[in-house]
Amino acid sequence: MDIEEVKQRAGPREFSPKDEMPEKYRKAATRMIQFHANSEIMGAYLEKPFIRQAPSLDRKLAFSAKVQDEIGHGQLLYRAAESLGIKTRDEMLDELAEGKGKFLNCFHYPMDSYVETPMIAFFVDGAAMRRQATLKSTSWEPYAHAMDKVCFEEGFHVKHGEAILYELMTGSKKEQEMTQEAFDEWWPRIIQFFGPTNEKSTHHGFASEVGLKQMSNDDLRTAFLNAYIPKAEKYGLEIPEEPRISKNDDGTYEVVEEDLDWDEFFTIAKNDYEPGVGQINGRKAAQDAVEWVRESLDSHENRLYGSSQPQAAD
Amino acid sequence: MIWEVFRQEKSGDYHKHCGNVHAPDREMALLFAEVQHGRRKPTNSLWVTPQKEIGEVDTEDAAFGGTTDKSYRWAMTYNFEAAASEVEESESEQASAERERKAQIEGGS
Amino acid sequence: MAAVEELSEPDDLTADEREAVQHQLFRLADDEFVVAERYTEWQVKAPTLESDLAFSNIAQDELGHARLWYDLLQDWGAEESELIWERDPSEWRHSTLAELPFDEGDWADPVLRSYLYDVAEDIQLRALQDSSYPRIRDRVGKILGEEDYHREHAANWLERLCEEEESRARVQDALDRLFPHALTLFAPTDEAVEERIDELGIRSEPLVTMREEWLDEVIPFLESLGLSVDDAELPEQYDVHHSQLELPEHTGRDQSHTDAWFDLHDDFTHTYQELGRTSAERIMKDPDDE
Repeated sequence: MDIEEVKQRAGPREFSPKDEMPEKYRKAATRMIQFHANSEIMGAYLEKPFIRQAPSLDRKLAFSAKVQDEIGHGQLLYRAAESLGIKTRDEMLDELAEGKGKFLNCFHYPMDSYVETPMIAFFVDGAAMRRQATLKSTSWEPYAHAMDKVCFEEGFHVKHGEAILYELMTGSKKEQEMTQEAFDEWWPRIIQFFGPTNEKSTHHGFASEVGLKQMSNDDLRTAFLNAYIPKAEKYGLEIPEEPRISKNDDGTYEVVEEDLDWDEFFTIAKNDYEPGVGQINGRKAAQDAVEWVRESLDSHENRLYGSSQPQAAD
Repeated sequence: MIWEVFRQEKSGDYHKHCGNVHAPDREMALLFAEVQHGRRKPTNSLWVTPQKEIGEVDTEDAAFGGTTDKSYRWAMTYNFEAAASEVEESESEQASAERERKAQIEGGS
Repeated sequence: MAAVEELSEPDDLTADEREAVQHQLFRLADDEFVVAERYTEWQVKAPTLESDLAFSNIAQDELGHARLWYDLLQDWGAEESELIWERDPSEWRHSTLAELPFDEGDWADPVLRSYLYDVAEDIQLRALQDSSYPRIRDRVGKILGEEDYHREHAANWLERLCEEEESRARVQDALDRLFPHALTLFAPTDEAVEERIDELGIRSEPLVTMREEWLDEVIPFLESLGLSVDDAELPEQYDVHHSQLELPEHTGRDQSHTDAWFDLHDDFTHTYQELGRTSAERIMKDPDDE
């Protein structure tokens, strides 16, 4: 299949591993799904400390389940990416460990306090879920299948985040103040979740032409702001003055871009942001430390079935 | 290696494909599948099978049900009032299967 | 064992009976909570994504069991906040096996710990199936239903890791370190109270018998994998009390703990302290209303 045919046929769940897809498509899809999978893993890494630090037994269970789900989403997404035949899961996880794998901006900022957790669990996950819902009609069928299951599970995450936000904002004055402070700090990052406006996004054009990407960042940002600004206000959060956001007559939003720190954003995009590097390296150390187990399993498997072919060839 | 996973929601249902897992052998594949694919969705039973053992034939390689007139296979071809409710039911299932099949052939070409 | 009289409702127990029931419940609840605390430490750090999911599930199961047992302790008015979040660390009664820290990447630790722990848990739960205290008896079945997976999971991993010399050596290291602490699973909280637990029929087997059963299951299995339980070189006919099996300095059961426990306690109560909380938020229904 050549690129022109791909563009012509591009529709929801149109292509699967049995189609001979041009390399350009397979690479673009791999890049996109790998980014998504990496983000699940790094999101899980970011929230993990709060399994231990959650202040009640039920919340601890919920955090454990949420982190588990994220690892499960990573599993589904790496499988969807592997099925493109470009990279194996091990290669993608190694790239993530070595700082070559890219992932969402918000997951480069470590969290120090429990009051920060709804910034991820409610707002960032809410933003992500919006995007993921549109990806159920992506053109790479295994990716769409993964999205079916991810969206099925993700509802719990956003509700869990909302419940914690509610609990904090109806808690002591101290809790409310700490939560507002966390919100002030996280809000610009959350807005940047959707990236710069379309003109600046290099990969968007091709990815939407071949049906991988279903909605533009601007549309997603608008949808997100429409739903989540009222929610934030409902819980008593004050929307920070910056970045300045205004609503157009057609219901879209204008975000004043110079109010946002794009230098930091692009430093993050290169995996060069210092606190984010700490996150990447922390996970790398954990991954390296259990290499011996994977080796042991591999030789067990080889004893049983003989040494297998590279696993991306499916 | 990769194991394909099939889930049966309740006893008596078919096992339907629901995903896959990396695992070094069948026992571990079952243990892993149980958590990854059976922890929320209703599950009565799971199957796992090595991915490389799965064979496939699809519309590119096969003309499922043939391309020439085979209406003799269908109840709708026979113009009698159904003798009993189970005959009627079978006919209506066949009618909708045929509609879907035709739609698929027309849509696919 | 002779038929024992059924104990009364929580409010009608004598002081001695109540103490015995509470000791039994703290043994169960604290073990589950603390071991799960160590298990969740593996989340996002397990060897593969699939094994991460599986082990997280086990951790959640154990936490869920802790929740059921702490809930029974609430029958006498204490809240979750007092039982978990505000209780002094020196009052906890879990086995030291549950609290021990481990080195990063030492995957032999959780699979072996889980094996030793889950075989013991199974034995202890079965000894509660006919408990004279109905509130305990009623919850055992639900918990036992989740235990088969745990044991199968742990045994499968041990079998695979012990196939090769190098990874077996790691399991052996973990065994040398964990085994003495695993023995504390059967250590008494207080001799007199433990005797009373048996007399009242709160459990149907005394600790020594359960330990015997545990050793009879665990040692042959571990030895079949090429591991050696050095301190437990036993004759054909096992010595009834295994008196040569020495307990570590701290048993946990008697409220003496290793330093690592106090660090762990600081860590998991951090948010509760930081926010100055006085109660623990519930999400789920009361187990009695499930």
